[in-house]
Amino acid sequence: MKSYKALITLDLKLALRQKSVIFFNYLFPLIFFFIFGQAMHAERGAAMTIVISMVLIIGILGNGLFGAGIRAVQEREANILRRYKVTPISPAPLLVASVVTGWILYMPNVLLIFTLAHFLYGMPWPNSMPSILLFTTIAICGFRSIGLILASVVNSMQESQLLVQLIYLPMLFLSGATFPLAMFPSWLLVVTQFVPATYMVTGIQGMLLRNEGIAANIQPAVALLLTAFVGLFISYKLFRWEKEEKIRASAKLWLAAVLTPFLLLGFWQMHARTGIAKTKILNRQLARSETLLIRGARIFVGDGQVIENGSVLVRSGKIAAV
Amino acid sequence: MNTAAPAISVQSLKKSYGDVHAVKGIDFTIQSGEVFGLLGPNGAGKTTTVEILEGLRPRTGGEVTVLGFDPDRQREQLKDRIGVCLQATNLPEKIRVREAMQVFASFYTRHVDLNKLLQRLQLEEKRDAFYGTLSGGQKQRLALALALINDPQLIFLDEPTTGLDPQVRVEIHSLLEELKREHRTILMTTHYIEEAERLCDRVAIVDEGRIIALDTPARLQQQSRNASSIVVTCATPFPQNRPTWAEAIQSSLDPTSRTLTVNSRRPAATLVDLVKWIDQQGLELTDVSLKQPSLEDVFIELTGKSLRE
Repeated sequence: MKSYKALITLDLKLALRQKSVIFFNYLFPLIFFFIFGQAMHAERGAAMTIVISMVLIIGILGNGLFGAGIRAVQEREANILRRYKVTPISPAPLLVASVVTGWILYMPNVLLIFTLAHFLYGMPWPNSMPSILLFTTIAICGFRSIGLILASVVNSMQESQLLVQLIYLPMLFLSGATFPLAMFPSWLLVVTQFVPATYMVTGIQGMLLRNEGIAANIQPAVALLLTAFVGLFISYKLFRWEKEEKIRASAKLWLAAVLTPFLLLGFWQMHARTGIAKTKILNRQLARSETLLIRGARIFVGDGQVIENGSVLVRSGKIAAV
Repeated sequence: MNTAAPAISVQSLKKSYGDVHAVKGIDFTIQSGEVFGLLGPNGAGKTTTVEILEGLRPRTGGEVTVLGFDPDRQREQLKDRIGVCLQATNLPEKIRVREAMQVFASFYTRHVDLNKLLQRLQLEEKRDAFYGTLSGGQKQRLALALALINDPQLIFLDEPTTGLDPQVRVEIHSLLEELKREHRTILMTTHYIEEAERLCDRVAIVDEGRIIALDTPARLQQQSRNASSIVVTCATPFPQNRPTWAEAIQSSLDPTSRTLTVNSRRPAATLVDLVKWIDQQGLELTDVSLKQPSLEDVFIELTGKSLRE
């Protein structure tokens, strides 16, 4: 147990001494937050929920793939793991420390973003905050694990960079974090149901817009949790301490093994279509979330009455006042 | 030498990587408290042998016991008890010296007082320095500190001074001598002959996966085909006709007739005889020196190779 604690403390210190960690983990999401916040007029309606889900998914993807994946490869390539190899520890404390460190480093971000959204853009505190925190925790563990398994199946730094981009970019674009899923043709919507990041976006949006709890998102939560455990287990089994130990190319298939929970979830969704339906409901809800006032209109009221030059107030898709 | 169980015992150890036979049947025993050197050119199988003993690599064949453990099957217990200083390892650039000590201390079931260890390796002033800012010698001292952190009775040193400048090498040597005085068992690999001569009680010369000679550095030198030469200088000239001294092969006089060189395979016996004769002749001895073939000569003779090829 001592070694777990010591490695977590060390990983945290090392991370905070790294300029790239400070930039990508803390500054980068904030930059996105303000750019998206301005561009999408986040002070209006529910646009803030889109901004928040975007910023969170970009951060968690980066934290997992770059923070855990690339760093683990670096440590092996620099002969640092070789030094640990002669001590009595197993890979377990190194892997667990990486996941825990990623979580500790990322969580302040979540709180900061919600605080900024509340005070700068007037977003009410979500009722489902505990569920949101739990869900982001599971997501961080899942994506850290994906990063670690990635590190364990590549043989060089270049290979890891390539593989990370191959996973990072599709996840970013297909998840609805950068382009709203409403823009997607229906065949592409089916594809998105195989992407873990999609469930993160719809999960967080559902929790924010519809006060959903973790129970309503139990499928993606379980899938992410499975990814975390399977990923850690396979990373442990494939762990290499030295860059000279090469792994055969077919080992990259283990990456697919980690994504199996989502493959199953994707196929199930092709059949059930609840995920796509949820995406559409969320989009509709987002679209009509703005408060609208129509002035100088001729209004035909349901009872036959006609008001010349009147005003209608629409709030959350419903007429609130005439 | 003590009669307790040997620290390391190796019998017909073999290691193959596919068709490549890196170690082809090696036998040796290291008593506790002994400093044992594995000497050989690159690729001779030294590092592979040491890594098998450290529990880092499984062996292909043979019997190995290290501190009573089987390195293949009792890896963790073994690693908890030994100290290892590997070639070409690194620590993160931004780790502080004391943090490295703390984190490595946490890996073992017991550890020594970290401040005392830092003091001993003259790293006290550097305790808050980042690893990336240390000099080569300081990094190597830290590597030794980490190898000593669990107070090991058995220490493995894989080329502990390779790539260091001569002054730092001397520094590391005196540290190793100190460990030797504490009766710790040390197994080291090196390709510096002087290092083996200075530090090792016994040396095994390894070439192409086999041990081709194993003895104390002194006796290995005696095995050399090259004879030692004894050079004596007297205040007055030597007489022209000289007897044949015990074990001497040949002798020659320099042009002044005051310096005599005698070649011998057993210089000790020859020297006694020679000095007696000088005394009988009533000559006044001003200087005596003995030149032995170096371990390097022995090495080249045995392997036909230079150590640093």
